Amino acid sequence: MEAYLVAIAIVTGIYVLLALGLNLQYGLTGIINFGHVGFFCVGAYTAAILSQHGVSLFITLPASAALAALAAWPLGLVSLRLRDDYFAIVSLGFSEVVRLIVTSERWLTNGVQGIPGIPRMFADLSGMSQASAVLGLLLVLNLVAIFAMRRMVSSPFGRMIEAIRDNEEAVKALGKDPARFKLRVLMLGSALAGVGGAVYAHYIGFIAPEQFIPLITFQIWMAIIMGGVGRVSGALVGTIILMVFMEGSRFLRDVLPFISEVEMASVRIGIVGLALILFTIHRPQGLMGDYTRK
Amino acid sequence: MRDIIELASIGLVSGLVIGLAALAVTLVFGIARFANAATGDTMTLGAYAALIGTAWTGSFLAGGALGIAAGAATGLLAYHFVFKKLEQRSSVASLLASIGVGFVIRAVLGLVFGHGQQVFQLPMVRPFRIYDIRVQPNDLKIAAAAIVTLVVVFLILHATPIGRRMRAVADDPMLAKVSGIAPKRVMIALWALAGGVSAVAGVLLGMKTVVSPEMGWEMLLPAFAAAVLGGIGHPVGAVVAGILLGVAQEVVSPLVGFTYKIALTYAVLLGVLLFRPRGLFGRNEGVR
Amino acid sequence: MTLRIRGMTKAYGGLRVVDDVSFEVSSTAVTGIIGPNGAGKSTLFSLVTGFLDGDAGSVSFADKDLSRASPMARARAGMVRTFQVPREFTHLTVRENLLTAAPNQSGEGLLDVFLRPGRIRQEEERIRAEADAMIAFLKLDRVADSPAGGLSGGQKKLVELGRALMTGARLILLDEPFAGVNPVLIETISDRVRELNARGIGFLIIEHDLAALTKLASVLHVMDRGRLIASGAPSVVLSDPQVRDAYLGGAAA
Repeated sequence: MEAYLVAIAIVTGIYVLLALGLNLQYGLTGIINFGHVGFFCVGAYTAAILSQHGVSLFITLPASAALAALAAWPLGLVSLRLRDDYFAIVSLGFSEVVRLIVTSERWLTNGVQGIPGIPRMFADLSGMSQASAVLGLLLVLNLVAIFAMRRMVSSPFGRMIEAIRDNEEAVKALGKDPARFKLRVLMLGSALAGVGGAVYAHYIGFIAPEQFIPLITFQIWMAIIMGGVGRVSGALVGTIILMVFMEGSRFLRDVLPFISEVEMASVRIGIVGLALILFTIHRPQGLMGDYTRK
Repeated sequence: MRDIIELASIGLVSGLVIGLAALAVTLVFGIARFANAATGDTMTLGAYAALIGTAWTGSFLAGGALGIAAGAATGLLAYHFVFKKLEQRSSVASLLASIGVGFVIRAVLGLVFGHGQQVFQLPMVRPFRIYDIRVQPNDLKIAAAAIVTLVVVFLILHATPIGRRMRAVADDPMLAKVSGIAPKRVMIALWALAGGVSAVAGVLLGMKTVVSPEMGWEMLLPAFAAAVLGGIGHPVGAVVAGILLGVAQEVVSPLVGFTYKIALTYAVLLGVLLFRPRGLFGRNEGVR
Repeated sequence: MTLRIRGMTKAYGGLRVVDDVSFEVSSTAVTGIIGPNGAGKSTLFSLVTGFLDGDAGSVSFADKDLSRASPMARARAGMVRTFQVPREFTHLTVRENLLTAAPNQSGEGLLDVFLRPGRIRQEEERIRAEADAMIAFLKLDRVADSPAGGLSGGQKKLVELGRALMTGARLILLDEPFAGVNPVLIETISDRVRELNARGIGFLIIEHDLAALTKLASVLHVMDRGRLIASGAPSVVLSDPQVRDAYLGGAAA
């Protein structure tokens, strides 16, 4: 039971990293990123491929962050000037193209078979202490991310991105280029997703293209919308609710054993879909309330 | 050369399917003013409904009709329960909700039909040759069905009062509002039409390949790309752009490989948005 | 410093919304643009400030050609606009609204945020003092720490004016500063404009409220159906029969 809870906590920690990144992009800056999973994917494959070649974990994590941010750079450069909803479509397409690339470039990614045997973190520890160490690392990563984000929000940079979220045209009228700020935010959020991907790859030990479907992106959307857009606590609360749903559906199987695994997959998709619809209509500001009341 | 023409004719058929999907996207985008990400899953739903209908009645035509009815009903339900409530909000709210609608449709289909692939039991017919070009009779049927659908849709848009109103709203929502065109009836007609057209696209796609819960979602990006390439809100443009994309995909696939032909549609989408945002036929819409 | 507009033209379909408009605006004066609805005044504003691309025409400010410059570059050149419907940053407080506008903040760079917090704190103190002075000047003290989204229409106009001033603009383009504003605030806004003009800041103002505008402006330009039909001192322009016909006749109807 304890091991199970630690496992859930680890997955939650990875998702919180993703949610913090998306919250920075959407909640604080108003960027509609529908391709978050693409950067998660870049991070995971970077870590997997590097560590296959014996690169140390201390390098794979920052390398994953850097590569994910670098992948966001051309996307942001060309398409952040588009209207919000066009950027949403373009970013969704971007994540699908990333998945196409890791599916097709077998020499690098082993194609649909995926990459097995990715070295675990803290491999000299075993069992619970190893899992706890991973959890500890995630805790540190999340705390660093939250601390950095708080620092940013209270800075002139943070003021400016919130101004962009509220009214981009007015920002232009003041002589400041919104695209410059949005590009940095897109890259930062992607770096967080990249780190999340790296921890995920090392923790799960096996990655394949089918793990990086758009459903992941919209699970994160569900989390930040439920938790409260634009709030650090919202990303946390929303992710926990998300995990309760996802893990709860697993318990549902224990109660209702006639439901198969593929049917559960459908149930999960349905939950995410329903949550997106209901929250968009009834509580667009999320359970935790509006970001004006900081 | 012959290979290229054969590929192009295959592309023409898949292009018609893309064009139909893009038509549904562009109608909603032009009139309801948002990118409907549930279009793909409405296609899938139409295909499954047609499968059931064919199995019940033994007639493929009756099955297809049930598919269209199911697609139209889905469009109307989505409008009534979701998009009507978001009309006063930003287009992003509707876009996000449409992702949710698509997920819900896919979840229901997955639960009811499972995740296996199913096929339409079409009679096997040997391909024949026209001027040395190999032609699949099924492809001819698909193309014929697509063309009939397009003719019907354009008749509705141009020769019926409600169709004219739809075009007027698409051209200028403000003007339509002040000149007293009842938006609600236009919206109902729009969602029924868009749902029906999506379903036809789904059925034809299912005839061409197989029916699976993911099939429609995978068509979403090509459909968006064709809608943008044709000029948002421009029905003829969407169809022409769909055909162009379909042909281009097949013709380049020997060069770039099977998987990357989807990436081609992405490149087209991005290129058009950046360099010619009004597409081939559209007016200047302001995409930035 | 002078804003020079030459041959500015913009057509939608066949309709010329702005048709070959040329004039000059001095940054030492308060200049008004009047005209009936649909005369093309707001479109002209957007063309001049770069928010719309024109079909023809050139714009220069302080002898610097800005015809192809981005809206941002035009604002940085010292020519800043406000909007007809106020575009306040709704979730930011009034003070934060003003702070965003201050130019060249090193705290807008991410590296400096993390590596040079001391320098940013100093800068913040300086622009905060500047913003507080501006808040007092615009009589926004009572709402300084309220989210701007909750203000009245007139207060929002003042916030936009304050933001434009914080950029260090030499010429401020106000799009209907009196629309939907109560008479007391109209007085406040007029007052502040007069005072700022005395300090050397120029204003170009589009306005429907003729009475309030004529009290303020020393030069008036009249637009009708995309064209400039009269220019000059308010008393002269307003007695012009063509203007009475196009504008006052239209307003009376």
